[in-house]
Amino acid sequence: MTIDIFWRIPTHGEPSSHRSKTPHRGDWFPGNDRLRERGLVGSDEGEFNYIDYLAEIAHAAEISGFQGGLIPSFPMTDEPWIISAALARETETFRFMIPFQPGFLNPVTAARMTATLQRATGGRALYNVITGGGGPAQLWWGDSTGHDDRYGRTTEFLDILQGLWKGEPFSYQGKFYQVDNARLAEALSKEDYPEIYFSGSSDAALASASKHANYYLSWLEPFDQLRQKFDRVKEKTHLLGRKIKCAVRVDIVARPTEEEAWDEVRLGFEALSKEAIQNFGRGDGGDSAGAARQWGNRPETINSYKDLIFEPNVWSGFNLLRGGQTNGIVGSYEQVAERLDQLVQLGADAFILASTPHLEEAYRVGEEVLPLVRGSTSAPALRAVG
Amino acid sequence: MTIEFIWQLPTSGDSRYGNADKLRRGERTSAEHPYSPGVTDPRGTSFNYLDHLHEIARASELAGFDGIRIPEDAEGDDPWILAGYISRGTRHLKILTEFEASWGSAVYAAKNAVSFQRFTGGRFAWQIKTGGDAQQRRTQGDFVKDSDVHQRIEEFVTVARGVLTQSPYSFKGRFFEVLNGGFQGPLGGQVVPPVYLSGNTEADLSLSASVADIHIFDAVTVAKLKEQIASLKSKTDDTKRKVAIGLRLDIIARETEQEAFRDATRYRNQTRQTGSVDALEEHLWGGLTTHVTGANVTLIGSYQQVSAALIAYAEAGVTSFLLSATPHFEEAYRIGEHVLPLVHEHLQPQQRRAA
Repeated sequence: MTIDIFWRIPTHGEPSSHRSKTPHRGDWFPGNDRLRERGLVGSDEGEFNYIDYLAEIAHAAEISGFQGGLIPSFPMTDEPWIISAALARETETFRFMIPFQPGFLNPVTAARMTATLQRATGGRALYNVITGGGGPAQLWWGDSTGHDDRYGRTTEFLDILQGLWKGEPFSYQGKFYQVDNARLAEALSKEDYPEIYFSGSSDAALASASKHANYYLSWLEPFDQLRQKFDRVKEKTHLLGRKIKCAVRVDIVARPTEEEAWDEVRLGFEALSKEAIQNFGRGDGGDSAGAARQWGNRPETINSYKDLIFEPNVWSGFNLLRGGQTNGIVGSYEQVAERLDQLVQLGADAFILASTPHLEEAYRVGEEVLPLVRGSTSAPALRAVG
Repeated sequence: MTIEFIWQLPTSGDSRYGNADKLRRGERTSAEHPYSPGVTDPRGTSFNYLDHLHEIARASELAGFDGIRIPEDAEGDDPWILAGYISRGTRHLKILTEFEASWGSAVYAAKNAVSFQRFTGGRFAWQIKTGGDAQQRRTQGDFVKDSDVHQRIEEFVTVARGVLTQSPYSFKGRFFEVLNGGFQGPLGGQVVPPVYLSGNTEADLSLSASVADIHIFDAVTVAKLKEQIASLKSKTDDTKRKVAIGLRLDIIARETEQEAFRDATRYRNQTRQTGSVDALEEHLWGGLTTHVTGANVTLIGSYQQVSAALIAYAEAGVTSFLLSATPHFEEAYRIGEHVLPLVHEHLQPQQRRAA
């Protein structure tokens, strides 16, 4: 068995390095007029705009040997369905990993959207099923369903999707969804069913994942903690007579030497305001178990970037540099590859990697790190010299 | 008011002849080699129907249409994904995407629309249909009661517009809710997709008077259309809103009237429609191509006659024409080359005077 490595598409803009927030690609950062006409920001003139930059990243990722990329969806981001459909014709191997909350779509609509996207891409669409973080953000999306009910809804949604995919008339009576003799048109039902990466750390999430997921996706956590989590989900799934794989979503900073890699992090950290560091990890009032696990590692006081190192080559301050999940791997090309291989040893079958800026780093990681990762084969990997 | 001409993507297949099954051009339906064994076929499985749909979208833009409608069809491909799929191959085309309010969350629809507008320079538009009867709706996972269909569309549009234009925006209705929603930064202030609605019932007209930007009627005689426009107008007077008028029709236009009627008659015979022609008037036939294009009425005539008829509709108040004809690819060029220029020639001097 071999492992799959994905990249990530920055749907919320990105700075040109970890060290500084400016210049900032995408139009989320004010005062970026110098980049505007080049399409790295959004153009008002109908010429280039941010989707052109995202297209560049998708190309870079596929040329560099990644399976495809995760296209994150949050209240402040662009949306993955539209990005995937827009880039379908200009990519060849890039697989579009679409995160979405099943509660936001009618499952019959979703089945048809997915099948059409498979037809548009030659089967390159896959899901990252997320079930929402609760709290004010969930209400922002217009969803007031409680935590465990949301996972129940996710399970029903995937039940229906799977049922429809068989191409026969399908009926279902659930608590959240009902369908009566629904059917996917013949030309659409011939497509491959999308692979499902499933996110969620609570018991309710694991119950839902074990029934439907191909991959259980976790943020990076302390390695022992992650091993336990993976063991638990594999055990639960095994009880249902199914097999599940595990995947890790992790940022990396990889450089020719460890020193250079930590310098990158240090410079980014030192550019932060005191307030930003004070507020780090204070939470958003949601009910996400995964977020609670991430912030659980925050030290009481943070005086240096070094206070956020919780095991060798693992830094927990990435959220300070670019928003989103916060744990990542920092080191030389060899060290990063070794850490990834350690994660493989403790149960990871796939990775979603990211680094800033996503365009240039797709090439760097593809050229310098991926060739060093042994994956799950026992054959010795060729190590680069020097 | 400028006039827009909107062509259509045949999302579930197209056909040239009245007696042919719908065909998905470019798509292999079986592993069978379609040519005789003595002839090579270089295509393999390189293409599918979406490649052809993409070409129709480009054809309609090259031929001078202002937009393209992507109908929702249970047998066809999904309009939202197709809208994204054709977005980067087209430059100016308005992309009128049809769906039902059972699609999902109104906030999520608006959120997806934001990205669409950002990437296309604001070319995304919505046609929200009431859908079929209760049984058909249940096949779409939709168990809403007949009496709630219109109210749900009204809430959907209200919430979508709310989050697109205000932040924070809150709403709690029977079908949709949102608390402190709305879009910030570059996601805020994007073009709100124009909303196209249709139908002839009192409920349809009242709904349009409340929330539509454009109301679409099926083609009828000009006299009858004026009556329908008047009844919509009496309702928009109450709601104090302006709703533009759209007209949905198919066209069989040929060099001569004789050719047009020959082709219309042959098509009708191929479909095995029997009895006398259901003609609203001589050039306006009902039911001829409905099974392929969804249009209830077909306008038949020479290029000059068809243009004159479109001009008469425009003078009666129509500003959006939603047109189609089979096969959609070839006919986009024909109508773009032979009919639209005649209409524009006549209407533009008037538009200039009005401006």
